[in-house]
Amino acid sequence: MRQFIRACRRSLERGWVPLCGALALGASGLALAHHSFAMFDSAHQIKLAGTVKSFEWSNPHVYIELDAMTEDGTTKGYTVECANPGILNRIGWKFNMIKPGDKITVIIAPLKTGEPGGLLKQVTLPDGRVFANGAPAGKANIQ
Amino acid sequence: MLQIKRQNACINLPVVSRARTARALLLLSMCLGAAGPGLAAPASGAKAPASAAAVHGLTGTWNRYPQLDEGVDPKLPPPPAPVPPPPLKPEHKAQWDAQQKAVREADARGEPPFTDYVKCLPDGMPAMMLAMFPMEVLQTPGQVTIMQEAYNQVRRIYLNEKQIAIEDAEPGYWGHSVGHWEGDTLIVDTVGIKEAVRFRNVPHSDQMRIHERIHMLTPDFFEDQITVEDPVYLTGPWNFTYAYKRLPHYKMLEYVCDSNREYKDPKTGGTRLRIGDH
Repeated sequence: MRQFIRACRRSLERGWVPLCGALALGASGLALAHHSFAMFDSAHQIKLAGTVKSFEWSNPHVYIELDAMTEDGTTKGYTVECANPGILNRIGWKFNMIKPGDKITVIIAPLKTGEPGGLLKQVTLPDGRVFANGAPAGKANIQ
Repeated sequence: MLQIKRQNACINLPVVSRARTARALLLLSMCLGAAGPGLAAPASGAKAPASAAAVHGLTGTWNRYPQLDEGVDPKLPPPPAPVPPPPLKPEHKAQWDAQQKAVREADARGEPPFTDYVKCLPDGMPAMMLAMFPMEVLQTPGQVTIMQEAYNQVRRIYLNEKQIAIEDAEPGYWGHSVGHWEGDTLIVDTVGIKEAVRFRNVPHSDQMRIHERIHMLTPDFFEDQITVEDPVYLTGPWNFTYAYKRLPHYKMLEYVCDSNREYKDPKTGGTRLRIGDH
């Protein structure tokens, strides 16, 4: 314990604040979310554009059902899992900011099973506003 | 640099904080003068005059510190050390190690275990104190109430009461907690945690007892030094600490799991996401 605090202090003195924070969090096991994100493939994110079928503001997760456009011009339904109302409220989301019929773009970490669903990384609303999905879900790694 | 001795609560605050503390104490004394002793009066049996912390220092909303996306603030005390592995007796440790390995392997396969938490059951004590979401503390005469936003969890700590016999403790998620103040530290004792309510998958018996030293380091920062004891499963005390920073003006949100789309895959036992509009 003392060693860790000393190391943390040293890193702070040297200005390595994020490193110290990352160590503290990684090692202390701050709960990431309602469940592990191991179901989702965050390394191979995909971008979908489509029309919102429904937007469910609920716990333990918020969901967007999206009719996404495919390359052949047809649509395919995707279930997009977002964080929960608490996390999303705290980063500026609002319970009614997405509505059925909205044309949106999402970047998701797809389900590893290949089913049409995934974890939201970023959403772009019809008015151009861009929202992330909170710290636990992590950021988009594609544009 | 802020220098804090965690064990004896000796705090050497910078000048600004000292001034703020002095203002807080002045305000407190004014409030007490106006409101009479009712608010500050400890339950019967307490002898020493209540400290500022004991009266209302913990009341308010708090965030675990540091948050996932938050750097370490050099003006605050350094974050507590990571939670060490549980000191399980060898026969239980082997089983726990194997379980942890199985969890890592299931995660690697993309089939994270379907736990009680995923099932939308609250995490209970002591896991609740890791405060995944904001936490609210209320101090009222004879009681400290801690609420965790995730799963609307509530635990009540009864002040200056004798703890019940461990065999009389009805098993639950938050157990039966009693506490008393020693200066700026709230000493809490908890018994009666259901055996299925586990922190970090660690098994425990009905003999488990959780000790806490909830210690205010500054008016806007406190730590909970937790010690888990269980003569059946552990070789000795399991010690770890969580820190919290005041989250001013935050209004707690409700949390009801009314739309859980995660389910248990009957073949793998892993967590799956139900696809489609329901």
